[in-house]
Amino acid sequence: MEPKNILLEMKDYIVEMGAETINWCMQCGLCTNLCPWRLVPGQTSEEFNIRHMQRLGQMGIEGFEDENILFACSTCGMCQNNCPRGVKIIDNVKAMRASIVGGGMVPAGLRPILGSCHANGNPWSGPRENRTKWQEGLDIPQFGPDTEYFLFVCCHSCYDPRSMKIAKSIATLLQKGGVSFGVIGVEENCCGESMRKVGDEELFQKLAGANIELFNAKGVKKIITTSPHCLWSFKNDYAQLGADWEVVHYTEILGKLIAEGKIAPVTKSGKKVSFHDPCYLGRHSGIYDAPRELLRSIPGIEVKELERSRELSLCCAGGGGRIWGEVPMGERFGELRVLDAVETGAEVLATACPYCVNMLTDACNSLNKQDVLEIRELSEVLVDSL
Amino acid sequence: MADAQDSARTILVAGGGIAGLSAAVEAAEAGFQVILVEREPYLGGRVARMNKYFPKLCPPQCGLEINFRRIRNNPLIQVMTMAEVEKIEGESGDFTVGIRVNPRYVNEKCTGCGKCSEAAQTSIPNFFDYGMSTVKAAYLPHEFAYPMRYVIAPQVIGTPEAQAIEAACEYGAVETDMAQKSVEVKAGAVIWAAGWTPYDISAIAYYGAGKYRNVVSNVVMERLASVNGPFKGIISRPSDGKAVKKIAFVQCAGSRDENHLAYCSSVCCLASLKQATYLLDQQADAEVSIFYIDIRALGRQEAFFEKVRQDERVRLVKGKPGEITEDPATGMVTVQVEDQQTGKTLREQFDLVVLAAGMAPATSQQKIPASGVVYDDFGFVVSKGQIPGIIGVGCDRRPADVSSTVQDATAAVLKAIQACRR
Repeated sequence: MEPKNILLEMKDYIVEMGAETINWCMQCGLCTNLCPWRLVPGQTSEEFNIRHMQRLGQMGIEGFEDENILFACSTCGMCQNNCPRGVKIIDNVKAMRASIVGGGMVPAGLRPILGSCHANGNPWSGPRENRTKWQEGLDIPQFGPDTEYFLFVCCHSCYDPRSMKIAKSIATLLQKGGVSFGVIGVEENCCGESMRKVGDEELFQKLAGANIELFNAKGVKKIITTSPHCLWSFKNDYAQLGADWEVVHYTEILGKLIAEGKIAPVTKSGKKVSFHDPCYLGRHSGIYDAPRELLRSIPGIEVKELERSRELSLCCAGGGGRIWGEVPMGERFGELRVLDAVETGAEVLATACPYCVNMLTDACNSLNKQDVLEIRELSEVLVDSL
Repeated sequence: MADAQDSARTILVAGGGIAGLSAAVEAAEAGFQVILVEREPYLGGRVARMNKYFPKLCPPQCGLEINFRRIRNNPLIQVMTMAEVEKIEGESGDFTVGIRVNPRYVNEKCTGCGKCSEAAQTSIPNFFDYGMSTVKAAYLPHEFAYPMRYVIAPQVIGTPEAQAIEAACEYGAVETDMAQKSVEVKAGAVIWAAGWTPYDISAIAYYGAGKYRNVVSNVVMERLASVNGPFKGIISRPSDGKAVKKIAFVQCAGSRDENHLAYCSSVCCLASLKQATYLLDQQADAEVSIFYIDIRALGRQEAFFEKVRQDERVRLVKGKPGEITEDPATGMVTVQVEDQQTGKTLREQFDLVVLAAGMAPATSQQKIPASGVVYDDFGFVVSKGQIPGIIGVGCDRRPADVSSTVQDATAAVLKAIQACRR
């Protein structure tokens, strides 16, 4: 075996960037074996070992900065939630990425994404003024002093044509339920959750700082998010920066509306539906029951649990910046998800996250299963049932 | 009862496992009255359900039998089975203890003839075998049970079956109208020996226990290997009864894990090494894999660890397994683990996976019914700063093996005597 150079400065730098718990690791390897990468074949699966990557970080040994390794983690949280030592593995990943990205070494695939965030306040190269384009055909109120909730629509659903339908259906449901809400619009910035996860701390601080200033200036007290990623970031990242809002995911609000009878699903479809737990809704935020209760509120729907569900849910591979990754067919987690749903006998695979919808739709198409399985956002299934 | 009782000369022992038994006989042999209260219908607790135990690896029956004889021969010990301590009031030297006695529906006239069992039709899960076998609704808890007396399951009470059971007894021992009762006793000290429960391995979701039949806990493994167990001692797969050849032990299943039990349960490494020998002794072509974080074979048992390690059929792999999956067609269970010494990921099938479940004190689930008892973060009864006269012992005080529990019980008796004398 070749000798390895231990760089103490690198080790200290990584800790300084936020990997405060990296030295708690006792090298048991549970993380590596709960990692979704073990479920797929291919080069990344062979090269990326989260335990080993952290070991390199612990010692400041080079090798972790390889793009295939450093940017492989989708921050699904399966390892972190089960780590026997409580190591904050995602913070370590983030810090190790920040130690490289902070020095200007951004993977080529991420450069336009981060650049667009700097220029347009969203990662999708969409002009700022198009942020409210999803509202066309709807009468969405502006957030103001008289509105209770600020509806923060994920950039993905502001710019991606497929994803706009999610924003539309969520807004429609909130309106039907009589919720007092409004949108700020073009001044909003991306929450920056993924930017922070890929290690661009500077960009995250810029986006978050601007959002906090804007939201507070507009008098925001309560936020409904469409995406679990924005939810998590507002509740955790932004809270660290002093933001003090009541933040909920739309599934939580809708659950209340249905319980109170303000929305009453009346479908006759009788479809078999599986629910895919988004990592940032389930494992990261502990919301498992609300989306299931919404599904069950639809008469005639048969809910089929996937093999890996709730705390054991398998990531769609869209978190941690992976939504911008290029993964060969046959190595995508979403494909396993789609196959599981088909095997379960589901006709619809519903989820509650724009990234998941994106990743699962790609997987469904690449497997050519679109005739037997429909990928839907939960809000769309609900709108259909009204 | 209270008339014959001098509280300053009486020690109440809650729990009739090895800790409580040891405490009871030691206290009685020092001249104190003892009331031994056991929740189950028999004495011996978890030890009675083991195949073999350290240090001599003998079956538990002989050790228990010696204790039972000491109890039988000592009129100072009063045994109450199917009984639970409900409340403890008063102070050191003068406690009043409320005890609930559940109906056994069989009185002391029982000779153990078994006619009642023959008359019973209903089968119920056998508690003694952790539900892997069944017993009739009139049953002897196990063949060496003390007291050697049948029990009628409450499920059949009030049915014609119960009448048939009662009619079958030639000694007037079956009393289907027996009712639950509460009694109060006086005691100068209380020794709490409620024992332990194996950590609920189904809470470790990624190991699939409870979902996969061939993923079992270490306590179940003791029954699988016992001659009076569900497979007559031939270690077999719960799914299909097929003899086990290839076995995996997963250490620290719940222990040393902040999400489960943050402490080391201290006995599981040696328990798995011991259980490995069960299979090695009965299958010449056995293959044993032990997956560990590190092996903690404490004290004198290092030699035992060495002996097992040197067996060519044993493989020790440093690494904490991740997911366990089952092939529903064959019942084979696949363990995936990263060997920390080679960095290679292993993915292998086994007939049976034994999870070395950690020890949780019974007091983590059911507290001592007295106000002000002090526990640590994990529910163990602490000694320092404790209410005088209430003494936690054995696995209610810390995870422990049988021999140190016995020593602990003896020490607890001295504390109890001091409390009575105060």
